[in-house]
Amino acid sequence: MEKTEIRTFPTISQRHVSVRIPGLKWLLLVIPLIYTFLLLYFPIVNVLKLSFYDQTGFTLHYLQEILTDMLYLKVLWITVKTAFMVTVVTLVLSYPIAYLLVIMESAKMKKLILGIVMVTLWISLLVRTFSWSVILQDHGIINDYLMKLNIIHEPLKLLYNNTGVITGMTHILLPYMVLSLYSVMERIDLRLIQAAQGMGARPWRSFVQIFFPLSLPGVMSGSLIVFVLGLGYFITPALLGGQDNMMISKLIQQNIQNTLNWNLASALSIVLLATTFLLLGFAYWISRFSPILKGDN
Amino acid sequence: MLKKAKLITLTLAASIALVGCSSQSTSTKSSSAEKSSATQELVVVDWGGASSVAAKKSQYEPFEKENHVKITVVSPTDVGKLKAMVQNGNVEWDVVNSDTDVALRLAKEGLLEKLDYNIIDKKDIYPEMVTDYSIGQELYYTNIAYNTELFTSDNHPKNWAEFWDTQKYPGPRTLYKNPMGTLESALLADGVEPNKLYPLDVARALKSLDKIKKDVKVWWEAGAQPPQLLATKEVAVAAAWNGRVSTAKAQGSKEENEFNQALGMSTSWVIPKGAPHKDLAQKFIAYVSKPEPQAAYSKLIDYAPTNKKALDLLPSEVKQRLGQTEKNVNPIIIDVKYWSENFDQVNEQFNKWLLQ
Repeated sequence: MEKTEIRTFPTISQRHVSVRIPGLKWLLLVIPLIYTFLLLYFPIVNVLKLSFYDQTGFTLHYLQEILTDMLYLKVLWITVKTAFMVTVVTLVLSYPIAYLLVIMESAKMKKLILGIVMVTLWISLLVRTFSWSVILQDHGIINDYLMKLNIIHEPLKLLYNNTGVITGMTHILLPYMVLSLYSVMERIDLRLIQAAQGMGARPWRSFVQIFFPLSLPGVMSGSLIVFVLGLGYFITPALLGGQDNMMISKLIQQNIQNTLNWNLASALSIVLLATTFLLLGFAYWISRFSPILKGDN
Repeated sequence: MLKKAKLITLTLAASIALVGCSSQSTSTKSSSAEKSSATQELVVVDWGGASSVAAKKSQYEPFEKENHVKITVVSPTDVGKLKAMVQNGNVEWDVVNSDTDVALRLAKEGLLEKLDYNIIDKKDIYPEMVTDYSIGQELYYTNIAYNTELFTSDNHPKNWAEFWDTQKYPGPRTLYKNPMGTLESALLADGVEPNKLYPLDVARALKSLDKIKKDVKVWWEAGAQPPQLLATKEVAVAAAWNGRVSTAKAQGSKEENEFNQALGMSTSWVIPKGAPHKDLAQKFIAYVSKPEPQAAYSKLIDYAPTNKKALDLLPSEVKQRLGQTEKNVNPIIIDVKYWSENFDQVNEQFNKWLLQ
């Protein structure tokens, strides 16, 4: 063995090393890929298979049940609607924060604000959700203060309806949006704005025509992350929502852990996955019309 | 040479990590095999939290001592995982505590071992909680609970009809966002006799729910919600799990259970099919179904025994706390057999009704 090796590579030890390194890189790529495949895709495919196969063999019964039963379509619609509204609210709240982070000069303040945004990620989801129910309830701080100040005379209905769900979910998903926006905005060359203003553009105009369009890739990626994450939520809607805040993941969970109807659960997952892909495809299709979103940036 | 060594280390590390995924399951097995000569091992799955702590003290530890067994507790119960384990022939659990209706469904799917009633004495257990594959472990209620600042112990809704009567007992309500128990309440409120509940008249139950829908401020999904809603007066009256309310009351919340027309529910012990220590599991279930361990458990926690003989061993204040006084000894037990067969279809109707 040793002999052959010496004979094959007698003098090119230098090159020998440079050949080895790309191999190492491939290995570094292949191992995580095998990992992901074995631990993620393989089980997912196995679970999704259940929506077409049950004890009796191939069947479209479960998918048919979902697509013909108003209940499931309605819940799917509520799920998509909730995720969409949360995305919009999150975007509106996050954009100024991210913008502030970019134009701010004090590095200390920047760190502080980022820290405040990030800290919410480290608090348990259940704790945050229950805290919201304490804040938003009829005799919570918001309603109590507004009533004391005589602004309202009846407590506002902030909980156990859409308002509660969207408040809670927005709070949880906000950091993802801020970070996506910030990562893109940070790379925008602020001299472009100076140049625009130097040419006589008013601040709002330089923002609308220069900064905002350049930040669109961040808006896009942040919205997609928040939207897709929002589609899978069920604990927060369950605790802060009313009788019609029903999310599809709740039905999936019920079918897996309670009624043990894995076939229906799997079919519901497929429908949710397909809906997600459809909506993502739609977003991709829209972005084709914008040179910035296409990724030339 | 160094590079080569690095490469080898890397590959080794990666493969070890990959193997690591499966080693968890094998390690428990090998260690149990080693120990089997001296002490046997039993893996018990329960819900965790306060009930697990109480069970450890009152039931698991005495059983360990008596039988030279080492019990490993895994929590919380995850029947989805149980199903996956049995289907893949890699069962790590010996005894599992499951909701009784879910236990029946597990049995129907062929995922459980039969219980051996030559070893387990079932004669004093509520007959509604005994099947070929499962036996009741603890009894709890979905019952009426109320805020004691809004209502007094004399003047509060004492049955489901009064719960529904928002004229006489004003204030928002909360109900469980689950048809099991909620539909029974609705039918009792509508005047159905407790012994004529099953099979449920779902249409009539939903019609009865229509009458109270506008007063149901919250449809709760987590057991921790009703005591909190009562404590903050978000609702005046709740359908709640008794243990949660008595715990909150013990911590100073102004709320109280009403046990009249309380709906009895239970969790059950089951043995997964192909459990590694089935025989020992049968012995374990036989032990924890006896009156003494059950009474010891109920003294520590807000769940009542399923063995009626255990009540004789409990002091009266414990019986009071658990709703096991003379007038409540024959509670309305929810028919899990009905629910294990009909939950899917009834739940669909219930969800549709909620979305109307």
